Amino acid sequence: MPAWGTCLVIAIVAELVYFTLTTRQFAGHGTGMLDLTEQFAPTGVLALGLAMVILTGNIDLSCGANASLAAVIAGTVLSKGGDPVLAIVAAIAVSTLFGLFNGFIVAFIGIDSLLVTLATQFIVTSIATSVAGASPPFGFPSAFQLIGQGSVNDVPIALLIFLVIALLVIVGVGYTSLGRSLTLIGYNPRAALYSGIAIRGSLTAVFTLCGAMSGVAGVLLAAYYNSAQPDIGTDLLLPAITAVILGGVDIFGGRGLMGEVVLAVFLLGFLSQGMLIEGDSSLSITMITGLVLIGALVIKVVFERNFRERMTARMQSLQTLRPFRPPQGISEDADG
Amino acid sequence: MADHVERAGPVVRRGPGLHSVSGGDYEARGVSKSFGGVTVLHDVSVHFCRGEIHSLIGENGAGKSTLLKILAGMLTADYGELVLNGKLLSALSPREAQRSGVYLVPQEPRLMPDLSVAENLYLGALPKGRFSAVAWRQIIDTTEELITSVGLRADPRLPAGRLSLAQQQLLECARALSHGCGTIFFDEPTSPLTARDAERLFELMWQMRDQRLTLGFISHRLDEIEAVSDRITVLRDGAVVARAERGTWTRENLVTAMIGRKLTITRRTRRTAEPGTIMLDVDELVAPPEVNGMSVRVRAGEVVGLAGLVGSGRTEFAETVFGIRRPASGSVRVNGRDVTGASPRKCIDAGLIYLAEDRGRNGIFADVDIARNATSAIVGRLPRVAGPFVRTRKEQEIAQAAVLEMDVRASSIVAAIKTLSGGNQQKALLARWMLAKPLVAIFDEPTRGVDIGAKESIYSIIDTLAAAGLAALVISSELEELVRICDRVYTVYEGRVAGELAGDAVTLEALGQLAVGALWRRQGTRSRCLPPGASCTCHRGGPCCCAAARSW
Amino acid sequence: MPPRWALLLRRREILVTAVIVIVVAGSTAAHPYFWSSGNLAFIFADSVVITFLALGESFVMIGRGIDLSVGAIMGLSAIVVGFRIQNDGMSLLPAVLLGAAVGIVLGLGNGLLVGVVRLPPIIATLGTLSVYSGLEFVVTNGNQVDTIPSSITNLGSHTVLPGVPVILLLTVPFVLVSAWVLRYTTFGRSIYAVGDDAEAAYRAGIGVQRVLFLTYVISGLFAGLGGVAFLIYTSGASSTTGINDNLTAIAAAIIGGTALTGGVGGAFGALAGSVFLTVTLTAMSFAHVSDVWQPAGVGVLVLLAVVYDSRARAGGRRRSASRQRGVR
Repeated sequence: MPAWGTCLVIAIVAELVYFTLTTRQFAGHGTGMLDLTEQFAPTGVLALGLAMVILTGNIDLSCGANASLAAVIAGTVLSKGGDPVLAIVAAIAVSTLFGLFNGFIVAFIGIDSLLVTLATQFIVTSIATSVAGASPPFGFPSAFQLIGQGSVNDVPIALLIFLVIALLVIVGVGYTSLGRSLTLIGYNPRAALYSGIAIRGSLTAVFTLCGAMSGVAGVLLAAYYNSAQPDIGTDLLLPAITAVILGGVDIFGGRGLMGEVVLAVFLLGFLSQGMLIEGDSSLSITMITGLVLIGALVIKVVFERNFRERMTARMQSLQTLRPFRPPQGISEDADG
Repeated sequence: MADHVERAGPVVRRGPGLHSVSGGDYEARGVSKSFGGVTVLHDVSVHFCRGEIHSLIGENGAGKSTLLKILAGMLTADYGELVLNGKLLSALSPREAQRSGVYLVPQEPRLMPDLSVAENLYLGALPKGRFSAVAWRQIIDTTEELITSVGLRADPRLPAGRLSLAQQQLLECARALSHGCGTIFFDEPTSPLTARDAERLFELMWQMRDQRLTLGFISHRLDEIEAVSDRITVLRDGAVVARAERGTWTRENLVTAMIGRKLTITRRTRRTAEPGTIMLDVDELVAPPEVNGMSVRVRAGEVVGLAGLVGSGRTEFAETVFGIRRPASGSVRVNGRDVTGASPRKCIDAGLIYLAEDRGRNGIFADVDIARNATSAIVGRLPRVAGPFVRTRKEQEIAQAAVLEMDVRASSIVAAIKTLSGGNQQKALLARWMLAKPLVAIFDEPTRGVDIGAKESIYSIIDTLAAAGLAALVISSELEELVRICDRVYTVYEGRVAGELAGDAVTLEALGQLAVGALWRRQGTRSRCLPPGASCTCHRGGPCCCAAARSW
Repeated sequence: MPPRWALLLRRREILVTAVIVIVVAGSTAAHPYFWSSGNLAFIFADSVVITFLALGESFVMIGRGIDLSVGAIMGLSAIVVGFRIQNDGMSLLPAVLLGAAVGIVLGLGNGLLVGVVRLPPIIATLGTLSVYSGLEFVVTNGNQVDTIPSSITNLGSHTVLPGVPVILLLTVPFVLVSAWVLRYTTFGRSIYAVGDDAEAAYRAGIGVQRVLFLTYVISGLFAGLGGVAFLIYTSGASSTTGINDNLTAIAAAIIGGTALTGGVGGAFGALAGSVFLTVTLTAMSFAHVSDVWQPAGVGVLVLLAVVYDSRARAGGRRRSASRQRGVR
């Protein structure tokens, strides 16, 4: 079986070809596909932040809610007449703080990240709903909307932002001390401790980064939809996790390439957009996404297990009890 | 040790509903076993009879534990036969072994921490009452009987995780009995126990012996072995070298059989240079309960050994020095710098490294490639470009150079480290630590699970490093190793330094007697006696020994 | 040996019940209406759906797994059964059976993925969550369930005794049966064993994969029953039913004493945790805390429960290194 990244690329090409041939509006005038990326760029950013957390063997269930909160804050600042830059900074600052909170509890108090982020997700959702108030903000200045809807030479700005972040994450995880530490922590936390890796600091950092990326995702969402509903980001959690797992990141940590996560984002993104254009509802898209996740994993696991079983079978056959054989040349017991 | 006296007491009962059982006549014939190229057992034949306590003795790595595991179905032998009550056993699994009446009380008891004591006893075989409901009342009652009969006092409803280690061991014994097992093996049960707990265990073993059960026993402590055994088999380097029945052995014979007369003991490395300044200065380090006030000094260019029995606290000491455990009191200085209680990172930056004992769990990142494994301790110091970005090509070159220098045989540096043999893995770890440019290195069992060729390699590496000025502390249970490479050896007992051997006093005999526990006698927690030539440490607060130096 | 009752006091369910009593007492002191037949009935009825979900979730969590799809299973069951009641006039008993059947079938999906294919539970149930949520939409086809005959919905509001709605009486037998299974059957005890140390359980002869498979089927079953309860209580269902209840169910189980690391917990804990959540949330609204903060309340309670748990467990508990791994 070829490398996972290659499989993803093949799948992307296959689906692009399929959709272009079957649905007229998909390719548009050649640039239609690019426009579609605006829709899933926020999910992509979220997936990248989440991927770094999962790389360490943890998880962040609150990142979707965090994105919602960021969107709401940005929207609120804008609707009060604030500068778009201020809105963006405020949004990302708040979501980063919540990321830091998550990181602190996981790294320093030592509670399992599943439980912590389960709880923070609830808390952040409440705060977002509360801040949004009875009528959530909408109708933002066009300068702000450009982030989510504008393009530069037919390339959507949202896509550019996603690609820039993707590049930073790929390079960061692959080529910085922090990135190295994250992968090593994911592979073997004890060996990482004995190697002198700053586990607490790294974990706090990665959750904080995830919080920051949730903030960026939230800003993109608010800009794209031109409104800030308090649940705008919560729906993104599922597709984001799916993209991370589909991208080959091991849920237990360690294994996984950020580049392949980016590929998975495109794979899933175009899949859902193509189906939308075809006329499928958003919930059946969720269903197909779930099926793709399960299907891909089953294939991966079954194949790996087949390989592993063949190896263990070979090992075992070398270790079974054999009939008595006289030893070669060694004399009886030495004198006692 | 207390004399063996006929004990009147509660009869050891088997579990309810199980057929009555007596000990099995269990024989291992020509058993051989290798792990990854290292021969651990070679053509071993041992016969365990009913109504006997049959002990296996030998140094660390002699193969005793492996043999018991094979007998209990946890490992499969490469060659040989297992014959139980005249029947040849094939494809033995732990479950099969239990059904045939064979049980191994492991060195580390493995119980379900959240389930109650009673439930642990009856795991997988809960008796039922009316309506097919689990009969808890009956279970608790019989559990109480059973555990009392083995000398365990605990509430059967208590979660097993709350028991002390000694209690958990007794519970394992009770489990063996409740499953109707008549052939019970004990793998080093007494290492972590206090004298009183060990005494209780022996009483239980005698009772079981009197009930005609078959018992196998491993221990490092010769005084225990002598007091408890009816029959002794001595293993050395994976082969049976001596057998003896009660009344036919002497202490000297046993010790000689265990250590053997080594013709190939190479001359001790003579270091020409005088050792330099004190690089590692540990003063009265305390980290209860394993480390109870240890003071160690290592100079630059010196190779110092830490010898002691299993469970003497040497690894815990090293972990406390390196910052994995917190010290309660005492101080650690590296090259004059105080690193007491500092994190591993700070220790590494100050020049202290630690090659951990359990490399599978604490050393290697199994699925990661060799290069990344090699640079894992210097992640922060790798060559950079344009700010924080690591130059991976340079990093690989560095790793490659280090790995070659340590003579690691690997097909490619990007292969996962788990594909390497044990010896090469260890050398790769050495490469990792040497990249950190240490001043002081603690090596914990550096040649465990390593084949002969790699061993020599590692010894010469340590020699070279010492010659270049490294201060090395070697923790080892292999006597030849310590004799071969160390200039000085501290002997450790129950978390304290009990003595120090230096220069020509570091002989195989002196260390050998220590390692086989020939000298340690249990008297409460005090130890007595030092090998000839060892210096007394009681003036530094160690256990008092001067008055009664024994001569053998 | 401490007496029986002392051990009992340390159990989480008792602790939670004690806190419930305190909260109820406090709220009644501030708002006398809190302690009224109508309000208590409302609280119990409100908690029924989560109780069912938490019951099923407890089975899974005791075995050291997790089921993120219970909300969707509940929703699907509510939709399927609801349409049959609304369009075909199905009566209560067949409706309950149908709900159970739907739940079992959907739970089978989870069981196969985790027990047979051996995918990590968090991913497997995440996948089925997506699939089942999507199915909800497909099955409703744009319609809704909105007409449930009052003969059925009355079960949710009528009270048998003051403060005890009929629907609670339907829940209690299930709680009792679950508690019995968990404590008195070999199967139940083997779930605890698998959750505590799967490898040791395997060596003791327990069919680990089979046990895991069954826990997910049971979780589906209870989620299906929860869907019927949902219909009784809210008399309606749509394509978005249940989507948000997954994590609340897990929260209830955790508060009730079941841990993600497996080996502990029970049926009464699920009931206690669920009632506790409802009581606290109701008390919050009585205290004029906006409904917006309800999720935050759940979050804070989960954090408190977990911190208390780790502090309580840190004392004198030996855990092997392999157990440090999370549940995924």
